[in-house]
Amino acid sequence: MVTYIDRLFNNRKPRRSATIESLDAVSLDLELTGLDERRDAIVSIGAVKMSGGRILLTDTFYRLVNPKIPLCGPSITIHGITPSDVQASKGIEEVLQELIDFCGDGVIIGHCVDIDLAFLGRETKRLTGRPFRNKSIDTLAVYKWLSDRHYHSDSISLGTNPSLYEIAKHFAIPASVSHNAIMDAYITAQLFQRFIAALACCGVERIGDLLRIGNQGGAIKSGEFSNF
Amino acid sequence: MILDDIVLFLRKVPPFQFLSDGALTSAIRGIASEFYPKGAVITKKDGPGEAYLFVIRKGGAKRSLDYEGQEVLVDYKGEGDVIGYHSLFGEDVPWTDVKAVDDTICYLLRKDQIKKLIDTDGEAKNLFSKSFLHPVTNDAVMELQYKHFTYSCGDKILFNTRVGAVAKRNLSTAPHGISIREAARIMTERHTGSLIFLDAGGAPVGIVTDSDMRDKVVAQGKDVNEPVNTVMSHSLKSVDADEYCYEAVLSMVKNNVHHLIVMKERHLWGILTNHDLMLLQGTSPLAIVKDIEAQSSVNGLIPVSGKINGVYNMLLSDGAKAGNVLRIITEINDRLVRKVITLIEKELGPPPVAYVWIGFGSEGRKEQTFKTDQDNAIIYSDPVNEADAREAQDYFARFSALVRDALFKVGFPPCPANYMASNPMWRQPLKSWKKYAANWTATPTPEAVLNAVTLFDFRAICGEDGLADAFRVHLQSHIADNRLLIGKAASLAIKNAPPIGFLKTFVVEKSGEHKDMLNLKVKGVSPIVDLVRLFALEKGVGTTPTLKRIAALADTHSIVKKYAEELIHAFEFIMLLRIQHQYEKIRNALPPDNFIRPDRLTNLQKRTVKEAFQIISKIQGMVIERYREMIW
Repeated sequence: MVTYIDRLFNNRKPRRSATIESLDAVSLDLELTGLDERRDAIVSIGAVKMSGGRILLTDTFYRLVNPKIPLCGPSITIHGITPSDVQASKGIEEVLQELIDFCGDGVIIGHCVDIDLAFLGRETKRLTGRPFRNKSIDTLAVYKWLSDRHYHSDSISLGTNPSLYEIAKHFAIPASVSHNAIMDAYITAQLFQRFIAALACCGVERIGDLLRIGNQGGAIKSGEFSNF
Repeated sequence: MILDDIVLFLRKVPPFQFLSDGALTSAIRGIASEFYPKGAVITKKDGPGEAYLFVIRKGGAKRSLDYEGQEVLVDYKGEGDVIGYHSLFGEDVPWTDVKAVDDTICYLLRKDQIKKLIDTDGEAKNLFSKSFLHPVTNDAVMELQYKHFTYSCGDKILFNTRVGAVAKRNLSTAPHGISIREAARIMTERHTGSLIFLDAGGAPVGIVTDSDMRDKVVAQGKDVNEPVNTVMSHSLKSVDADEYCYEAVLSMVKNNVHHLIVMKERHLWGILTNHDLMLLQGTSPLAIVKDIEAQSSVNGLIPVSGKINGVYNMLLSDGAKAGNVLRIITEINDRLVRKVITLIEKELGPPPVAYVWIGFGSEGRKEQTFKTDQDNAIIYSDPVNEADAREAQDYFARFSALVRDALFKVGFPPCPANYMASNPMWRQPLKSWKKYAANWTATPTPEAVLNAVTLFDFRAICGEDGLADAFRVHLQSHIADNRLLIGKAASLAIKNAPPIGFLKTFVVEKSGEHKDMLNLKVKGVSPIVDLVRLFALEKGVGTTPTLKRIAALADTHSIVKKYAEELIHAFEFIMLLRIQHQYEKIRNALPPDNFIRPDRLTNLQKRTVKEAFQIISKIQGMVIERYREMIW
């Protein structure tokens, strides 16, 4: 019965009362022509599937996307994708559907995931008329939540909004500052793997609590986890 | 792109490094990675069959078994090691607990994929089964794991073969009422070397073997029409089919039998002979024990005792844990000492009064590694009159001197501090021992405390156990509630501070022959032994082995209750390191010592040693806190 109601009201959503172990997730990263949500476009998409803390290394997604706008300026030097690289690539119309199929109902994991979701949301709305509805978790929010609880011993040195690479280095996760969508998605997945273990130490075991932490970060105080 | 890095790693790890590109691609189909924080369970013994083979990418894990409620370490796995070969080839249920000893990342390879590969690719099958039987060590793994402890390549057979896999199923049984002739006829008919006799209810009551027929019947000209129970051996020892073979070895050595009946679900299931075990494994502790028993002179024992080092080799290459090595070596050494004593007794004639030969120090705690100094004494029955007393004195003086010399011959050097029965002080009637105990405890001078504490580790090796028990009771009654004595013992236990420096580096010897080295005995083993002995003194625990003391104190002693697991782990690890180090020395024809070079340890070893020192330091701190006013 509970499952039924859950399904009825939380279509496309993980069961919030289930354990994190059973979480279906997709670690995702986009490379963009820039950060302006109205003008810029997606140039590549990388994603790796996860099952709880397990990274499914062969279940991956990587596409270059023809942004249909001139690739120029500083972004090229960041992600290293040149106009000739994307010329022959498919446009977002085709790639988006493949990505939506790949993600299924998985919760999207990303570092500063809101930026990526804004772009995906915009494209989904434009192309299908519907919003991009997957739940998401921001690894930066989780990182901050853990920092507030002094989980990382010397996190102070990392500053208030550490980059993906800075945190990865802190956890000794091999990461070159490559800004390659699939590698960044993989690094994010590995970070998330560590965070799940750290959260378990703080008593966070349910998907619902993880979602709250991953969306609000520091706003939740420990000891106020829900009783799903 | 993600896979590139993983393939690169697997290309350095056997057996994957030898697979063809195509085979490797199939092997890693569906590969996943998982992170295990330090202490997390990777696989559980008897847990659900794992769908994966685990390759450690980073960190380390220990495999352990539960033995009589204690965790028995099987081995450590480091980077590049594979966990789960077993399940690939046979039983699907994991046989050990595997726990992360550090933050650990594993690659999980789907077993179904690998099985498929093995089934279709003969070469891959060869590689995988070779790795399973003879853990191939490549340079990287060697460096990580056994950097300086290269043993001859033995199979870890005793420790991962279950009795059920070796035991013979087709055992012969017969009702126990039959005659010797009838029994012999059945044995001949069935081509069997042993016959088990069952009572009316079908329960096994005895066994007759070929050698019984030879020794007890033919050699003694016994009437073959007599009932077979007059020659059968009644002491039937059993072992469960699910136990590992080293448990069976231990039982055979301990009980001096060559046959064990094998039970499964409490039913007679098969029979295991030492021959089966010897076939399984070249050198056996049993063969050595048998050799010891067969000697009729001290000189005959000398070559036998030399073979004991081979047992270390076997146990170490089997991946035995320190606790188990000590148990088996103690059993063998005890037998050697008993044999020496029996031979000397035979030479001198029977003693005028009953006595018990006791050992203390590491021998008393059953923690002897390579031949260590003699630490022994004699307690004998109180003589009834002056003449008897003189006779006893005279006899034990000659006796103890002969035993000392014989023990030296078979490899136990005399104690430089003269803690030996050959010293008149250490061979006395029970009443004098009681007086000793009273004096030591009444006026705890440094020497008296040392004596009391040393004797506290004693145990009976040979002779009248009753005398030893009487002294034990007496000693403990004097120690109980003697705060002054226990306080002095506490000062002793904190004397050696663990060698962890300010910057978490090892504090090593500053100068001399052992410059830059770490004394594992003084800095590692002794502090733990001393601390645990202190706690045993506090609670009046009579058992002597450190690991057993910890177990006995785990429920009653507040500190042990909290740190039992850490203490056991620390003790086991340092002890194993010490045994490995000493064995390595002996293999190179050098005298065994206790000095290791910390910089030659692998990172995992270094970290584990540091953790062990940290726990010692922590507990010493607690002892200082507790005895503050008595120590200074």
